[in-house]
Amino acid sequence: MGLAQNLIFGLVTGSYIAIAAIGFTLIYGIVNMINFAYGEYLTIGAFIGLLAGGALPLPLPVAVLVAMVGGGVASILLAKLFFTPINHTGPIPMLLTSIGLGLVLRNAIRLFAGRSARYYDTETTTWQFQNVPDLAVGPVDLLGGFFVTSQQLVVVGCALGVFVVLHTVLTRTDVGIAMRAMSDDEALARVRGIDTQFIRNSVWVLAGMLAGLSGVLLGIQTNVSVSTGFSQILQILSAAILGGAGSPYGAIAGAYVIGVALALSTAFLPSSMTGISSAIAFAILVVVLLVKPSGIAGAEVREA
Amino acid sequence: MSVRDSLPDRDSDTALVLSVLAVLLGLAIAFTPVTATIPGDLYVFFEVGILFVVYGILVLGLDLQYGHTGLVNFGHVVFFAAGAYTMAMLTAVDSFEGMALGYPWPLGLVAAVLVAGLLGALVGATSLRLRGDFLAIATLATAEIFHTLFINFTDIFGGTTGIFGVPTPLGDIAGTRDATLVATLLVFGGLTALTFAIVARLTEAPYGRVLRAIRADELVTRAVGKPTFRYKMESFVYGAALAGFAGAIFAMYNGAISPDFFELQVTVTVWIGMLLGGASNHRAVLGGLGIIMGLRLLSRFAQNSAPVTAGEFASIRLIVVGLILIFVIRFRPAGIWGDERELEVDS
Repeated sequence: MGLAQNLIFGLVTGSYIAIAAIGFTLIYGIVNMINFAYGEYLTIGAFIGLLAGGALPLPLPVAVLVAMVGGGVASILLAKLFFTPINHTGPIPMLLTSIGLGLVLRNAIRLFAGRSARYYDTETTTWQFQNVPDLAVGPVDLLGGFFVTSQQLVVVGCALGVFVVLHTVLTRTDVGIAMRAMSDDEALARVRGIDTQFIRNSVWVLAGMLAGLSGVLLGIQTNVSVSTGFSQILQILSAAILGGAGSPYGAIAGAYVIGVALALSTAFLPSSMTGISSAIAFAILVVVLLVKPSGIAGAEVREA
Repeated sequence: MSVRDSLPDRDSDTALVLSVLAVLLGLAIAFTPVTATIPGDLYVFFEVGILFVVYGILVLGLDLQYGHTGLVNFGHVVFFAAGAYTMAMLTAVDSFEGMALGYPWPLGLVAAVLVAGLLGALVGATSLRLRGDFLAIATLATAEIFHTLFINFTDIFGGTTGIFGVPTPLGDIAGTRDATLVATLLVFGGLTALTFAIVARLTEAPYGRVLRAIRADELVTRAVGKPTFRYKMESFVYGAALAGFAGAIFAMYNGAISPDFFELQVTVTVWIGMLLGGASNHRAVLGGLGIIMGLRLLSRFAQNSAPVTAGEFASIRLIVVGLILIFVIRFRPAGIWGDERELEVDS
């Protein structure tokens, strides 16, 4: 498999990590918490999409919308139940609560769905790109092509759509501008008359919708199981911190760095070592925290 | 001068006396041909009890880091694992997979503490300057990286199988399973009491006041001339070394280790124990851990009569554990026996 093929995988992985990482980093920037249970929001979205698309059955695009709405509703409900009441206590109690909530959600989903993996029933159309230069071997082997499945195109397309919508929301709408203001300086935003609780609620809903979308896309790529989201949380976290916690644009950049790094690691590591590729995202995370803890474009995370 | 005056009046001294008594009694049971018999139903008490005292060492170390110094270490299990793996790799004989060098166990024990302490120094040197929640994430990620390495480097760490053939000196001396369990519980309990004595002595001293000052306000502590980074580092390394010690003796009790023993679950359990009891109070954190382990014991009995499968039961138990963590933080942020003013939390 050539380098080009791996880069495709990297772009696809980066795309669904990016969608989730935006939601994650918005929560960080505006609610001021690291939500470790966020991976489970992806799982919830993936299962809602699966139920809507499989059990009802709705067409896949409608099922995706249902999953997004479901993710948003779940997110705001969980926030009202567990996070809003302890909002004033600071980041550590919030983080610990989210770890407890993750444990609860993961096991509740396991009770409900069991351990086995389920699959979205999607058409697998593969588009083959021939005569594309294989970057790994240089110009000599011009015939090495690469494959793109239609699902992969859907994932990348959805991600691009999310970026455009997000950019529009953050720069053109009152809610989006208020979000950016709150992320910069909450006290100042409140003084200027921004309803901070309303903005927080909007962020919970938005982040939940993004998690739902990311979960379904992930499910279409691989499968849906109780560990779908949890297996992604450290990559989402890495992407968000790499990009600078609280910065949505940084999170997008961070996600693609992580995605490509993961894909390349699979290409260059011996096959017996592919298992450690998941550790690479965390290793990147730790290195970033040490070298430039503020990330590509983020706020200060060091105490002194 | 009455007899009463010569009795210990500090927690640390009481713990030291208890420690010596428990270790001596445990060794006596191991070495003498006295055969203890445990009724079948009570085995589980001893198994959970041994796990409790091993985790007790973990929670005391974690409380030194978080309860006293305010360091949010969410990768505590990695130091526990480092101790256990060091012990197993150095001392195991005839392991199925992984490194097994067959050195004597005392060497393994010393190496385990050193390796865990060294790892603590490495993690600390690189991440102790981070803000609290980012320190939590950095330590959590470190633990996950190592977990992945343990699983994937089969030649060194034994992969998913782990390492077999770790020496079990207490078991070898005691002979029967029953005597081994009783002796292990007593000796390990003694070691936990010894840890309590050392940690309590440390925190009763002016040293402990500096640690608590750092937790309360690091900037002010530095302003009065204390090298706060060095104190934080020391506290972190002590906690890590203690966890490594706990890992080593756990390996010597179990006779084998595998990655399953060193998952995020362990960190969560110890954290809940600490928060439930009340951080920064040594007796309280052990009490909190006791409640959580008691729940585990109860659930083992309940499982037999519950109309659900073992897997479903495990899920329900973890849901309860997660809810306890959430409710403690929300309604009892200082813990059951904690001091709210000391911890500066408002409930």
